[in-house]
Amino acid sequence: MMLRVEDLTVALPMRGQLVPVLAGVSFTLDRRDSVGLVGESGSGKSMTALAIMGLLPPGARVAGRVMLDGRDLLALPEPDLCGVRGRRIGMVFQEPMTALNPLMSIGAQVAEPLRLHLRLSRAEADARAARMLDRVGLDPARISPHRYPHQLSGGQRQRVVIAAALACGPDLLVADEPTTALDVTVQAQVLALLADLAAETGMGLLLITHDLGVVSQTVANVLVMYAGRVVEQGPTDSVFGGMAHPYTRALFAARPAESGARPVQIPGQVPDPLHRPPGCAFAPRCSRAEPDCGQQAPTLAGGGPHRAACLHPHAAS
Amino acid sequence: MTALRSRNLILGAGITLLMAAVALVSLAWTPYAPTAIDIVHKLAAPSLAHPFGTDHLGRDVLSMIMAGASSSLSVALIAVVVGAGLGVPLGAFAAARGGWIDDVVMRACDLAFAFPALLTAVMITALAGPGAGNAMLAIGIFNIPVFARITRGAARSIWAREFVMAARTAGRGDVAITVLHVLPNIAAVLLVQATIQFALAIVADAGLSYVGLGTQPPNPSWGRMLNDAQTYIWRAPLLAVFPGVAITLSVLGLNLLGDGLQDWLDPRLRRGR
Amino acid sequence: MTFYLLRRVAILLATLLAASIVVFVVLQVLPGDPAALILGTGAREDTLAALRHQLGLDAPMWLRYARWLGGLLSGDFGTSFTYHVPVAELVRQRVLVSLPLALFAILLSTAIAIPVGVAAAARRGGAADAGLMGVAQIGVALPNFWLGLLLILLFAVRLPWLPASGFPGWDAGLWAGFRALILPALALALPQAAILARVTRAAVIDTLGEDFVRTARAKGLSRPAALWRHAVPNALIPVVTLIGLQFSFLLAGTVIIENVFTLPGLGRLVFQAIAQRDLIVVQDLVVLLAGSVIVVNFLVDLAAAWIDPRLRRAGA
Repeated sequence: MMLRVEDLTVALPMRGQLVPVLAGVSFTLDRRDSVGLVGESGSGKSMTALAIMGLLPPGARVAGRVMLDGRDLLALPEPDLCGVRGRRIGMVFQEPMTALNPLMSIGAQVAEPLRLHLRLSRAEADARAARMLDRVGLDPARISPHRYPHQLSGGQRQRVVIAAALACGPDLLVADEPTTALDVTVQAQVLALLADLAAETGMGLLLITHDLGVVSQTVANVLVMYAGRVVEQGPTDSVFGGMAHPYTRALFAARPAESGARPVQIPGQVPDPLHRPPGCAFAPRCSRAEPDCGQQAPTLAGGGPHRAACLHPHAAS
Repeated sequence: MTALRSRNLILGAGITLLMAAVALVSLAWTPYAPTAIDIVHKLAAPSLAHPFGTDHLGRDVLSMIMAGASSSLSVALIAVVVGAGLGVPLGAFAAARGGWIDDVVMRACDLAFAFPALLTAVMITALAGPGAGNAMLAIGIFNIPVFARITRGAARSIWAREFVMAARTAGRGDVAITVLHVLPNIAAVLLVQATIQFALAIVADAGLSYVGLGTQPPNPSWGRMLNDAQTYIWRAPLLAVFPGVAITLSVLGLNLLGDGLQDWLDPRLRRGR
Repeated sequence: MTFYLLRRVAILLATLLAASIVVFVVLQVLPGDPAALILGTGAREDTLAALRHQLGLDAPMWLRYARWLGGLLSGDFGTSFTYHVPVAELVRQRVLVSLPLALFAILLSTAIAIPVGVAAAARRGGAADAGLMGVAQIGVALPNFWLGLLLILLFAVRLPWLPASGFPGWDAGLWAGFRALILPALALALPQAAILARVTRAAVIDTLGEDFVRTARAKGLSRPAALWRHAVPNALIPVVTLIGLQFSFLLAGTVIIENVFTLPGLGRLVFQAIAQRDLIVVQDLVVLLAGSVIVVNFLVDLAAAWIDPRLRRAGA
């Protein structure tokens, strides 16, 4: 077992009070395994990634455990965490346009973690960074490592971010909406690259996205999140084969259609964390809501690996 | 953070109002006539009769500080009015016309910034004759490019917005649009800038009077008092303290007021962009 | 890059030329006849006319401008009416006081402001931030000539550590000269440092919120490493620009500060020349000072382009 997240709970200070933004998230992720976190914005999926990285905003209160090979990252002192970030866990962000330092050449940005963690000399680090850039599809003969981010396209920049995240050969890659900001054609290329690299290096992949279509093609296990909680989780095939939670079905219906059919918008909005309804947080937007949905919050139920947190789930088809 | 913002605003407004009140009161009343010489009691230490002591001619320092407030604030105020009065129309004109007119106005502003303001103010007042009036003009001239630039920048962003486009389509002329739509929307930015320039003008005025080019004796001025105090710094060091505190306090008050206004108006300024 | 440089140099030369024209025209327009000043009020009209001719003052304006500019370019700045020495010689003596003073002040201001601004930004919202920015708020409000007086009061009158005024000349030894510049440089530097620290803090806070700082942290950089290697360099552009602008304030400041400390520098020379209507000296000095401001701003633009590759494009 490599990464085991247990009952992860996060509260952030907002307007003078601590507001829960993440509650009771649990999952495991092995080497050669992949997990997808899906949900609309505000569902807490990015917060989960930041909590694992130990990069939550100042003032955040965290509870639960994030075990990496038996060590609880939440209990680790900051200097040790710096040795984990970039070395054991790499991270890729949503916005390639702003995720790179505009003043540093792309080669230097890929070489930086190599020099920091592996104590490579400048020449060694540069050589390895060039190989890494080549591996992510930026041939140094065509795109020099001496170039600066503003001279690259969005897709190329995201490749640089991926190269920097993978430079030290991490055991786990956290990719937070890695394709959202890219053109549709480039999205598929970057996703394929991530899947290739994961298969090749054997690292675990935690993929965060709002796009169920992306998840179904890329990851082995999926967690559907809503308003800071996991509402359905299980093996991807099983979840897509029999979506039990009404929110999962709504999200599936709203996914960007490939065939050109209009996606069905989920009516309403994710509730503001300051004003969460009692009971099931999805109830106000749910077509199947019954009176009892507004009274008690459902917990993840179901015998096997596929579980859903719903009082009135869809029957498995 | 909200508390801090309003604290700046309240403190700044308080200090500024206090200085303005002192300046106004001095027009009607000061403890002694600020020009009244009393050689017998020269360089006296602070006492009940003279709370801030007396200077080398036995003049009451408190009275001089009070009278200095009115001369300093009025010079600075008029300098800002001159700068804004010419700079704002210039900037608004450049923004409204754009093209080569805009280029010429902005290049001219760049050029003006190459001349150190205080140095040129010294030159102008010295050649045109020392005195409060010329000091106002010399300081005011260097406020023109400042106001022109900030007006032009803010006005251009307003010109790009839909309601201005709409007014234009409706056949309104440049002048009407500038007066009806542009200026009201950039007033907040200009107000903040005016506060900052007011503070800078007070320092410039004090500097000019320190070197003898501003308000002329026997009319008291803070800068002149500092110059006199330097001569007697070994015997009466406190004389160098009071006028400086008066200048610093005025500038501090205006800066705090400017910061406070800026933060208070910020949401509106942001929407203006 | 080459095109960028050429474009910048062309703009620099055009600005310098424009500045020299402005100075020349303004000084022609302002009242004061040099010939009358040299000969005194009782001079006869024909003597005045003869002197005007001798000084070349009766030539058309464009010719006088061309002669002056040609002189400037060949190092002949003309001759002072009052000192009866070449202006170039006067400038050479005085610049040895003013230039070290200005450089000393700029270095002091930068050396104080950047660490303070960065430290306050790193601890934003905390007590240290509030304390440092409170001091800076007061520092911004201090007029430098009053600060100079206070420093004299403290370090020359109360504590007899440093000279209250005057300059012994560099012949008296490097240390003696340097000692005389400490208080004036502090008086010039501290208010500028306060402004610079506030701008540095704001710029660093802006960049600390950028995504690439989070990327750096995700790569394993510690908080201080991410701050100094990624956030601070990106905050430097506005800071360097302001340092360039402060150079102009500093030059103007020397006019008054050199009077406070009776230093024989350019500021004092320009002041005396104005008082004595020594117009050629004024004209030369003002164009020199404005020229150095223009050149410094040019260097600042180059420094910004050196820091930020995005500014190296020719169109920028």
